[in-house]
Amino acid sequence: MDQDTDRHLTHAAEPNRIGLAIGLVLGIPVMLIGIVGIVRHTDATPPSSYLRFFVGGDLLHDLVVAPVAALVAFVVLRRAPAVARGPLRAALFGSAVMIAIAWPGIRHYGRMRAPDNISVQPLNYATSTATAVAVVWAVAAMWLVIALIRTREKRVAPAQPILRPDS
Amino acid sequence: MIATSTEVHSERVAARLGLALATTFTICFLTGLYSHFAQHPSLGFELPARPVGLYRFTQGLHVVTGIASIPLLLAKLWSVYPRLFQWPPFTSAAQAIERLAIFPLVAGSIFMLFTGLANINLWYPWHFDFPTTHYRTAWIVIGALIVHIGAKFTTSRRALRRTPKTPTDAPAAGALAERRRFLYTVFGVSALAITFTVGQTFRPLRKLALLAPRRPDVGPQGFPVNGTAKETGALGLANSPAYRFEVTGRVAHPLSFTVDELHALPQHSGTLPISCVEGWSTSQRWTGVRVRDLLEMAGAEPHASASVESFQPYGSYRTSDLNHFQAHDPDTLLATMVNGEPLAVDHGYPLRLIAPDRPGVMQTKWIKTLIAT
Repeated sequence: MDQDTDRHLTHAAEPNRIGLAIGLVLGIPVMLIGIVGIVRHTDATPPSSYLRFFVGGDLLHDLVVAPVAALVAFVVLRRAPAVARGPLRAALFGSAVMIAIAWPGIRHYGRMRAPDNISVQPLNYATSTATAVAVVWAVAAMWLVIALIRTREKRVAPAQPILRPDS
Repeated sequence: MIATSTEVHSERVAARLGLALATTFTICFLTGLYSHFAQHPSLGFELPARPVGLYRFTQGLHVVTGIASIPLLLAKLWSVYPRLFQWPPFTSAAQAIERLAIFPLVAGSIFMLFTGLANINLWYPWHFDFPTTHYRTAWIVIGALIVHIGAKFTTSRRALRRTPKTPTDAPAAGALAERRRFLYTVFGVSALAITFTVGQTFRPLRKLALLAPRRPDVGPQGFPVNGTAKETGALGLANSPAYRFEVTGRVAHPLSFTVDELHALPQHSGTLPISCVEGWSTSQRWTGVRVRDLLEMAGAEPHASASVESFQPYGSYRTSDLNHFQAHDPDTLLATMVNGEPLAVDHGYPLRLIAPDRPGVMQTKWIKTLIAT
């Protein structure tokens, strides 16, 4: 594939119609196993609570998480020097993911549910998450240093005399 | 996800992240199915007793892969986010169907990863039953994924073709470098998320388990429990002098034992894991009476299956079944000791089941009856 044929996703490509048809034939029965199971077990899956989380998670992503990410990209990353953007993006994204994974521990949700169970969420998650985030930033800092060195080498390289074997 | 370049919104990035997610979701689905059938045997499926650590491996993999999917999903959604605003929303009937099928895929994926992460932390901010809902929604997501793969087959195949190693011009080289930086970031963060959580099941990395909700070396007698005796109402009954263990059901002569009489029976030791569906696991050295010896003493049929009953008054897992592989395995024990010490009450004192290749919730604690079936 040529470089210039790598389309940017502002518009969807037309789907492969045969592939879509095969996908529908195979995928819809699989989906129905789940949908029928949920509809038939409304005692275990009350529709209001289920739909709130099923639809709510998607809306939360599309209306809050992604716009906030876009805002951070616009405000923070565009002002950063070009060489620092990759490492800075990695540090911010990595930090966000570490905090998201640790969030139930930071908030002690499991420990509050089982207060006499010492094996549930046994760590100080504020400290351990800070450590994980520090590791993320340390890796990003190393990346930045390497990128700076490479940038400097590229600038210096043209000034070096080219030694020919016969000179 | 944060990006500064339109390169991260390209087909190539979306296709590579999609391939990674299709892989992790398939692993999660298959390992989840294994756990479901282990707990709800049907269609003639009977969980084998060997290899001993198979359930431990599959459930550790299930949770680790789910956690690794979090950054992958966020990045994938970011790479295709501009498509959300395309106008008109579709240009053909096929595209309308394809886009409609994306909703259960995206909403279901977010739902699965959020509820899975909450569950391993014993956090339930909803009113539905987690196992039923997580299991059923997995089918919706996998079905929608199949539709999506079919619809995107041509696009993805084109996008996944190998990039020329040396781009021919500077803008192409820049675009390639930006896409690589973005993908390395996503896969790197995914690898770090694994590193900081896998120690809850992979003991050599336990000290790196900074974000894991469990540590395999923390708990009563140095390893975790899921439900305590106090939580399940077993605390008051565990030390009752009236306690007797009984062997009943399809047997020639029912048996009854006090704790001391159980200790006087032939003892066997085995190193077996407790493997929780929430992804943590720990291996310990257990000592107790073989289930097959008890069934034989009571005159049960040679290929009998069995079930055990706990005296815990609450909880969904008061009873569990042993298929004939498990009931007759030499390492299936009714344990009274662990690592040379009497069981702590939270680990099931006076008597608990411990058997190879079995979900932790089915290693029933505080046992009062073994029933031959």
